[in-house]
Amino acid sequence: MRFFKLTLLAAGFLSLASCSKYPPLSSRLLEDLAVLTQYDVNTNFGQYKTFSMVDSISYISDKSTKKILDAQAKAVLTRIAQDLTSRGYQEVAKSTNPDLGINVSAIEVTNVTAYYPGWYWGYPGYYPPDWWGYPGNSYYYPYYPTYYTSYSSGTLSIEMVNFKKINPKGQIPVVWNAFIRGLLTGTHTTVDITNSIDQSFAQTPVLKTSL
Amino acid sequence: MKKIFLFLILSVLLSVSVVAQEQSTSPGYKPSSYYTFAWNTLWTIGDFNKWVGNGSPAGFNFGGRYFIPGTNFAAGFNIQWQRVWQDYPQQTFYGDNGVALTAVNYRFTWMVPFQAAIDYYFIPSKMISPYISLGIGGDYMEHHLLIQELDIYKTYWDFSLTPEIGALIKFGAFSNFGAQIAFNYKWTTNQINFSNNDKFKNLQMLQLRVGLCYLLR
Repeated sequence: MRFFKLTLLAAGFLSLASCSKYPPLSSRLLEDLAVLTQYDVNTNFGQYKTFSMVDSISYISDKSTKKILDAQAKAVLTRIAQDLTSRGYQEVAKSTNPDLGINVSAIEVTNVTAYYPGWYWGYPGYYPPDWWGYPGNSYYYPYYPTYYTSYSSGTLSIEMVNFKKINPKGQIPVVWNAFIRGLLTGTHTTVDITNSIDQSFAQTPVLKTSL
Repeated sequence: MKKIFLFLILSVLLSVSVVAQEQSTSPGYKPSSYYTFAWNTLWTIGDFNKWVGNGSPAGFNFGGRYFIPGTNFAAGFNIQWQRVWQDYPQQTFYGDNGVALTAVNYRFTWMVPFQAAIDYYFIPSKMISPYISLGIGGDYMEHHLLIQELDIYKTYWDFSLTPEIGALIKFGAFSNFGAQIAFNYKWTTNQINFSNNDKFKNLQMLQLRVGLCYLLR
């Protein structure tokens, strides 16, 4: 009887110990980078040829905004340009009226809850349409974007805007965006980040020109 | 894996039949009802195994059986709690509207099955009584896909069928306490549907249950 009671007690404890719905989580879950991309399914990326890049990365945080162009930022911009070039696109100066523009931002903001996509466009330091030579215009997503409601883990945002499809309201469509998340969790080298940029292109096979 | 399950089934069948023969002339009593509290281990099979490949011992089961007078049949219920999980390295998920996501991900399914069951006991009055059973009922399942701090989950109710073999083992010929060992296959109409390359239907599993019983005369 004593054995039975002890066994029953042990079984009870075992069961209660496993009662939590959530299993023990892996630390890699938060530390590894995640790459989220989305493109406008109505855009024919093959019909465009030229693109231009911003000349630095907009750094957006709760405390300050600035433009950064250190070695890591240069590596990021260079890799994005290389990936686009490898898909047949041609980099040109923004003054030559490119088909596509690439905005790049590093976002370190906490307590972000439900912002409309592109919320950071109002931040100082972000490259507005004026910078591209389209004063008075604005950006918009032609698709309902999938986005994270919190950027506390640090996000590198890459947006491709289409200057050839500005709508009558003067809105410039964002036709592709990539979020590389997790920059502020764990330790990430420049190689990790550039590999994630490669991955953002790899998972968007439609992103290539046919011209 | 198949060999292990085959071995388990054969082991249970052989052991219960051998002992049952030895006990066939031994004294004992047929309970009017009994209740079990058991530890449950689950192995995913079929499509479910593509979602989470690991087996999981994180589960328990509470059941009750009431013998139908004058027969070797018992009817009752099972309520269970179970969790299976696995972490995966970087994988790419493709969704609708041009969405793609590459990330380390962590998947788990949490389920609360509840079934009505009918058992047939070959020698219900003996110390070791092998039985066969069929459970019919439903499950509440939550399938979670964890990516970074995101917890994307879907919940489904389903219909399920569970054929089972097992044995009820009294600790003494006239003891009110005993143990239960059972092995079953479960088929459900549950599904997992997170992305275009991760759609799984009719989740199936194998389960081994070992527990303690309290028997009423």
